[in-house]
Order: sequence, then structure tokens, then C-alpha cells
Amino acid sequence: MHGTVKKFAKWQGFLWILPSFLGVMVFYLLPYADVVRRSFLGAVDNRFVGLANYRTIMENPAFLLAVKNTLRFTALCIPLLILLALACAVILYRSKYGGFIKSAFLMPMALPAVSVALVWRLLFHSQGLLNHWLSQFKASEQDWMNTSSAFWILVISYIWKNLGYDIVLWMAGLAGISENIYEAAKVDGAGEWQCFWKITLPNLKPSLYTITVLSFLNSFKVFREAYLVAGDYPHESIYMMQHLFNNWFRSFSFDKMAAAAVTESILLLGLILLLQKAWDGGNEDGRKSI
Amino acid sequence: MKYGILKRGAGILLSAVLILGSLAGCGKTDNGAVGNEGNSQTGEKVEEGGEQALGRFLEEDVTLPIVFSSIYDMRKLEDGTIRIIGKNADDGKETVWDSKDSGVNWEKAFDAPGELQDEENGYIDYAALSLDGQSVWVYNRIAEGGIKPILYLVSSEGSIGQIPFELPAAEQSGQGSAQSFSTNVSADEKEGEEGAGDNVMNRSDVKNLILDICFLGADQIMVTDMTDKIFQISISDGSVKQTYDFNGMEDTHQVFTAGKKMLVVTSTEVLVYDTETGEQQQAEEALQQSVAESGFFHAVDSMDAGESIYYLTGKGLFHYKFGGSVMEQLIDGSMNTLGSPAFYPGALTMIDEQNLLIAANDANSEVGDGMVLLRYTWSKDTPAKPDKELKVYSLYNNRELRQAVSSFQKDHPDVYVNYQVALSEENGTTVSDALKTLTTEIMAGKGPDLILLDGMPVNTYIEKGILKDMSPILADKSNYFENILTAYQDAQGQLCAIPARFMIPAAQGGSANYTPGEDFDTFTAKQGILANTDPEAIVERFWYSCGAAWQKEDKTLDAGKITEFLSKLKNAYGEYDSSAVDEEVYQSISQGGAVNELHKVSLSWGDFDLAFGRIKVSTGLFGRMDYGMMNSVNEKLGGGDYGLMPGQAKQVFVPAMILGISSKAAQPETAEEFAGYLLSSEAQKVSQFGGFPVEKEAFKSVLDGHEYADKERLVGVAGGGSDIDEILDYALIPTPEEEIQKLTNLAESLTTPALQDDVIKAAVVEQGTKVLKGELSPEEGTDAIMQKVNIYLAE
Repeated sequence: MHGTVKKFAKWQGFLWILPSFLGVMVFYLLPYADVVRRSFLGAVDNRFVGLANYRTIMENPAFLLAVKNTLRFTALCIPLLILLALACAVILYRSKYGGFIKSAFLMPMALPAVSVALVWRLLFHSQGLLNHWLSQFKASEQDWMNTSSAFWILVISYIWKNLGYDIVLWMAGLAGISENIYEAAKVDGAGEWQCFWKITLPNLKPSLYTITVLSFLNSFKVFREAYLVAGDYPHESIYMMQHLFNNWFRSFSFDKMAAAAVTESILLLGLILLLQKAWDGGNEDGRKSI
Repeated sequence: MKYGILKRGAGILLSAVLILGSLAGCGKTDNGAVGNEGNSQTGEKVEEGGEQALGRFLEEDVTLPIVFSSIYDMRKLEDGTIRIIGKNADDGKETVWDSKDSGVNWEKAFDAPGELQDEENGYIDYAALSLDGQSVWVYNRIAEGGIKPILYLVSSEGSIGQIPFELPAAEQSGQGSAQSFSTNVSADEKEGEEGAGDNVMNRSDVKNLILDICFLGADQIMVTDMTDKIFQISISDGSVKQTYDFNGMEDTHQVFTAGKKMLVVTSTEVLVYDTETGEQQQAEEALQQSVAESGFFHAVDSMDAGESIYYLTGKGLFHYKFGGSVMEQLIDGSMNTLGSPAFYPGALTMIDEQNLLIAANDANSEVGDGMVLLRYTWSKDTPAKPDKELKVYSLYNNRELRQAVSSFQKDHPDVYVNYQVALSEENGTTVSDALKTLTTEIMAGKGPDLILLDGMPVNTYIEKGILKDMSPILADKSNYFENILTAYQDAQGQLCAIPARFMIPAAQGGSANYTPGEDFDTFTAKQGILANTDPEAIVERFWYSCGAAWQKEDKTLDAGKITEFLSKLKNAYGEYDSSAVDEEVYQSISQGGAVNELHKVSLSWGDFDLAFGRIKVSTGLFGRMDYGMMNSVNEKLGGGDYGLMPGQAKQVFVPAMILGISSKAAQPETAEEFAGYLLSSEAQKVSQFGGFPVEKEAFKSVLDGHEYADKERLVGVAGGGSDIDEILDYALIPTPEEEIQKLTNLAESLTTPALQDDVIKAAVVEQGTKVLKGELSPEEGTDAIMQKVNIYLAE
């Protein structure tokens, strides 16, 4: 009897996660396994083609362009967003109007992507508002979404939309730091900058991982705006992985899609694991120093 | 503690609600619960035990005793006789025919009295029958002062009398209607005005006209005039019992009567009036909803003195009981001729609940002027929906295909052709979204059997193995333009896509500006030869004649040729004049609002601009020959002619109505049978602007103007867009043999299918328009095109 209870206790944890695990299994793991299988098959006829699909995508200029643009966008936007959000969060945390301004920063998240796209069109069209304003100052007009400016418009749009969310996350992290530490440091003669550098930043490290991963995931959503404004074939500087997948799906290129998806997932998994390792390492160092 | 219990209680309650809610969502929808939306819509009866539902109205042609050029009205009289009043196409006489056996045999009751046959001084415009056999006729007398409508009453035996009713002259407020009407008279109503054919009317000649007429019981009539007024008139003394004024109503309307009720129907609503009081009755919600879903009423009949009505729309036959909450669909138009786009019902006669007759103008009928009579009979043993469902898919609505669906279903009662059109004005779907949905459906095994590939990446679909080889259905290609038919034939001789029609990029102009057969360099060297046209349309038109020359062997595009194309086209276009183009856009709006994209690039689009000197050369896709009009334009130009559109590619044609059978089709045999039918002479002879038939006999048939044989005295008069005083007279005559031969030779000489790729085309048109407007240089335009197209081609 005692043994049965012990056995049940052992499996009890598994039972609790079973419903969630089943969901993940059905909606993620099994479809992913099918994608892996399809990456070795032909598009429609399902004949085995070995690694041919992987070779095809590695030689495909559209795939390489999309990977380059996606990496460029991510590498530029995420550090920029995190740092900007941190700066804003620290300032707002000390301001007595911080709560109100924080809500204002969240407003862009509440706007539907379609509305944002419409505003973009109005602003950045070759005969749009921006060119109209520029013409008042005798500045040269241009078709913003069909030049390399499109990339920077996308970057600004991403930061504008996600800044509020990251500020909230940072402020939550800031709220978790005890005021006693700051008071003790100030008693010991530490200045504002030293407090920030020696107390605030180390204590925000746990938040950094969450914020980075969430910002990273949100960066994929910027495709919606790019697609709604510029369609299937935008300017080459904002041609992202999602554009490619979208267009491949339309033309029955499931073979290339599967190979690209597997490649991308391996790349992403590697990045996330690296990030996690760096975070774990940082935590251990922190613990050691304590 | 107290709050803890409350919290737990609320939690348990919420969980229970969520679980029960989700379980309820899993339940099957009971079709019966939908009621009238489901089972009763087609009048079917579902048998117990889930067996196939049985019962459907079957369609059959009724042979008319004579060839009618018009059928004004048809009624079942009180004694059971079916009476038709119409015009005999052979001798032009207005005539009345009766059938005592529900339309099987017919005998002439009488010819209309002489007053109605006087074609020298006027013409019959409308006529209507009452249940006791009387008829009222609208005779438009043409005299010095203009046109004067006279109402004649003809008894059931044929004696005539005039109804003493004077139609009031149109008031100032009705001028808008008057203008549009007079334009319509000259443009569209020409056949109804044979006797007046040589009389070109000015707006000032038309004081007021009757636009519709119908009986209210046996002693009153409803008369609609061009100022949107409806007069309720006693036929005995011509006194006006009621006047209903709809002036200012946004929509055109049609009037029907049922018992003592009058129905005023627009394309969006039905207004019901009590004709005894003249008061509008409370809106019938189900009827309004029916109009919103099914569209305009074509014809109405009642079998119970107006307690309920039967009405025809483009979606089929419906029954509605006044005061009820539901409308019942008795016949689904998509399963028979009622859904055909060229079928215009004029009269509906309910013989009884299980038999009915419909008189209609079927533009594709081979009979005379297209007047046909159809009988629908309830068959209780026929499955409510045919056993086999053939799914046919196209991005854009195709009228020829819709017509073929009706004809094919008529010959194959066991097949239901489910024709799905992806893009419409209502759904707002983009081509890209539609193609993604199609991909999903095909891969899920729920896709269409037959696909109309126009606007789709045909070559990609062939490469991916989405399409099945169709060569077995075309064993003998000798009757076809093989050069067109084999546009998508691969190296193994497989035909995975077959164009059932084609268009020719063509140009037309006077001899000073255009010589048929001249090359692109010579043509575009003439600066400003393409001036005063919409730059977007010009780029799109020349894309067809040039695009095929840009593709290199590795399927990438030759940037040098695109720059050459843009440079030369810019030279031919000259300086952009927005005011001239605005005029063209205005004209397109005045000619009917939303302009069909294909129509905008058609050759005939420029007829009036060319004839009246606004443009020097007209270019566009040539897919239907209106010889009379083309000849008239050429004569006005003094030695004008047409030929292939100059282009960088030679002998180009544009494949249209491209057929493909899905390799994952659920009904491959039926799909092949239907594809075979679409390529048959019968289906190919249907011509509604979708291109020339690829079958030679049908090609000749749509060109030769046989419908005008022996009617050469007819003269058409057309008003030209924004300026209705611009009139082109042209003779409706059979096309001369040498003209037919010329076009046949041209068709046989075509060797190069135009580049059919919407992504490349969109990039070229977008950037090319900017080049023509002077916003970009040809080199900059080419760079922008190549930037987009290179990504696309690299994918």
C-alpha cells in the first residue's frame, strides 16, 4: 500500500503536466515531425529526395536574402529596443507621472496592425503626407517604401510598437529591487551612476532573458505591417523570412518551405540555448559573488 | 473564510459553464434547426434514416409555335389557358397565342389589331396581360412634337379601344432620368425600335415615356413613367386612382402586382403597398433579406390572389407568404439555366405548385432572337442535389463558363457543377490570399476538380505536378487552332493546361498613323503616337505584346530589353497630360461605374476616342469582333485598318479561359467530360467578351454576324461616353467573308503566348506608369522592376 502511494507520488507530477504536454504534442511536436519528414520529400509527389531540398535553399538567393534581412533586423532592433526601453523605464520609475506615461507607451500595442499599415501608407506613399511635408521645406521627395528607407521605417515601427511593452517588463524588474539596497549604498556614499551600475543592472539580469526572448518573438510579428503595406514583394531590404514562406506556400513549394523551416528552427534553438547558457552562467557568477 | 467559499463556488461555477459551453459547441448542427435556410430552400424532403433527400424541379425546353423577337407577357388565365403576347420575329406582327394544355400545343388566338401594327408612325414598347385575357399595350407614337405614349386595351377576343389617359410631361426634377433614358434608347433599345430606327431622337423630343406596365386585377393597370412616378389607372375611364411618387429614389425600380398589393422592387429592397388605400405596408423582413441575398426580381406570379408570391431572381425561384417569417427557395438557379448570366426572364407563370413556365431572353440561344420558353416540373424521385459534385474554380467570374455550367447541367442531371469564384467585389479577397486558400484546399484533398487558370502561375502549377495531362480529351485537334491549343504543351507532348479561348494584342488607326504589321521600333519612333491615353492602360496593353521577348532561357528577365521597352514606349507616349487622361477616366465612370479590368485593356475601349480624334491609334486586346462598329470607325478615319499590336515579341496571342484539371481531383472523369464540353463547338459559340474561341467552327460563328442576316436594314446608334452628342452610326450586317478570312489568317499566324505572370506584370505596370508620367527615367524604372522581379524569380 505504501509502495503504491510512493509510486503515485512519483508519477503525480507527470499527470499534472499531461494535458499541456498532449496539447504541445498534438499542435507542435507532431506537426514539426511532419515538417522534418517533408523536408526530405518532393513538394507534391512526396518522393524521397534526400538532402536536395536543403541544397536548393542554400543556393536560393531569395532564401539567403531573407535570412540576411531577418538577421540584420533582429541584430539591430533587439539591442536597440532593450536599451531604449531600459532607459525609459529607469526614468519613468522615478517620475511621479510614470504610471500614466507607461500606459501611453502601451497604446501602440492596442492598435490593430491593419490600422498601423493604413497610417504607414498615408505617411510613406510617394504622394503621401511625409512627402507633402517635405515639399513644404523644398526637400526632395521619394517613394519611401520602395527604397532602402523602408528598412529603417520598419525598424522605427517595431521599436515604436514594442517599446511600451518592454518598458512595463523592465519596470516590473525595477520594482523587484529592494529600496533598502539603494539606501544602504547611498549611506556608504554611492552616487546615482554607481547605484545604477552596481545595483540596478545586476538585479535586472533575470528580467533580461525574458525581455530578450519576448522581443525576439515579437520581432517576427513585424512582418504583418510589412506585408500589409508592401504586399508579397516589398523592397528587398524588408523582404523577410515570412515573405518567403508566404510566397512559397502559394506556389506549392512545400519541399523548400520544410527545409527552410527546419534550418530556421535549428538556428533559433541554438540561439536560445546560447542565450540561456549565458544567462545561467551570469546567475551562477552572481550567486558566487554573493 | 466566507470569501474563500465564495471564491471556490464562483470558480466551480465558471469551470462548469466553460465545460458545458465547450461540449455544446461540439454538438452537430441540426439542419432542421436552420429550417428554411437548409432543407426547405430547394423544396427537398429529407427521408428518415439519413437517406438521400429527394425531390427537385427539372427543366425542359418548350417549343414555341413561332419564333418570337419579344415576349411581352405570359399568364395563366382564369380558365386555365396559358396566353402569350409577343412579336413575331418573321413578319414583325404583334400576336397573341394560347395553349390549353399547359404549353404543349399552341394556337394563335389573334393578331393584335391594326392600330398596334402601325410601324410607320411608332412602335410597341410594352404590353401586359390580365387574368381574364385582356391586354394593355403601350404604343409610342412618333410625331412632330416628339414621342407620345398611347395606352391601348385589347379585349380577350381581340377588339381594341384606347384608354383615355394622358401621361403628364416630365417635370424639371425628372431631368436626370430623362437624360439617362434617352441615352439608353439610342444605345440599347435599338431593337425594340425597328420602325423608328432612322429617327435619331434628341433629348428635347422626349417629354415623358412609360417604362413599365402591369395589370392590377382585371380593371386597373399600374403605369411607371420616367420621372419615377407610378400611376394606378382605371382601364374603363383612364382615371388615376392613386399616384406613387418615387422621385429621388437612388435605385431603379420595377413594379409587380399580386392581388391587391403592389410590389416596388429595387436591387436592395421591396416596398409593399396596399393599392386600395395607397398606403405603404409594414416592411416584410424576410422579403427584404431575400432581396439582399438574392438580388433583383425578374418576374413575379401569385396563385392565391396575392396571399403569397413566387418570384424569380438570378439565384432561382422563391416562394414567400406575406406576413411569414421565411422565404422558401424552390429552384436553385445554380443547377439550371436560371443561373446563367445571359438568361433574362421576362415572365413567370405558375401553372400549379409543381409546374411552371418561364419566358425569357436567352442571349446564347440559337433560336431566333433568343426568346425561349422553359418548363419546370417537380420530380419527387429525383435527388434534391445531383449525386456527383464537380468543383470548378476560377479567380475571376467567367461568364462563358457560367453559361457552360448551365448547359452542361441541363444535359447531365446527375452532375452538380459547383462553380466557385474566388474574387468578387463583396469579399475583398486578394489574388495572393485566394491562391493560398486554393493551395490549402488542394493539399487537403478538398480542392476543385477543374481550375480556370487565368491569373494563376500556370507554369509553376505544371512544374509542381498540380495539373493532370489533358491530351486524351483532345484526340483530334484538326478543328482547333492548334497553335493556340498547345501553348502549354511540354516536351513530352503533355497538355496540362489548355486555353479554351484567346485574345490578340491588336492596334487600329488611320493610315497616316498606323500601318498593320509595322514593328515596334517603327511604331514607337513616332513621338506622341500614344498620347492622351491612360498611361497605366498603355503599359498594360504593350506588356502583352512585349513581355514574352524579355524572358531569357534561364527564365530571368533581360533588363536591357525592359529599358528599351520603357524608353520607346515613353517616346511614343510623349508628355503626360493629366487633363486628357482624367477625361478618359471620367468617361469610364459614366459608362457604368466599376469598369471591368479586361474591358479597359480591350481594343474596343478606344473606339470613340479614335473615331473622334482624341487619340491617334487605339491599342488593346482583341477578343470579340463587332464588325459593324470596327468598320464604322475605320470609315470615319478614312482608310483605317487594324492589325497586330507592334511589340518586341512577334505574333503574340494571349491565352484565356485556360483549363486545367487538378491531379488531386475527386471527379477526374467528370472534370474531363466538362473540359471536353467547354472545348466543344456548342460551348465555344458562347461569346461574352472572354476571347475568341479556339475551335474553328465556333470562331467563324462568333465572327460572321449570322444573327444579322436578312436584317440589314437595322441601324445601330451609339452614344459616346461623356459626350452623348458624339454618335457613331453603323450597320448591323453579317461580316464579309474576306474580313472573316483575314482574322482567321491572323489567328493562325500567332505563335507566341504572351507572358502570363501577374507578379511581373504588376511590377512592370506600376513602374512603367511612373516612367510614362515622367516620374522615373526608363533606367530607374527598370531597376525598380528588376529589384522586385529578381526576388520573385529567385524564389
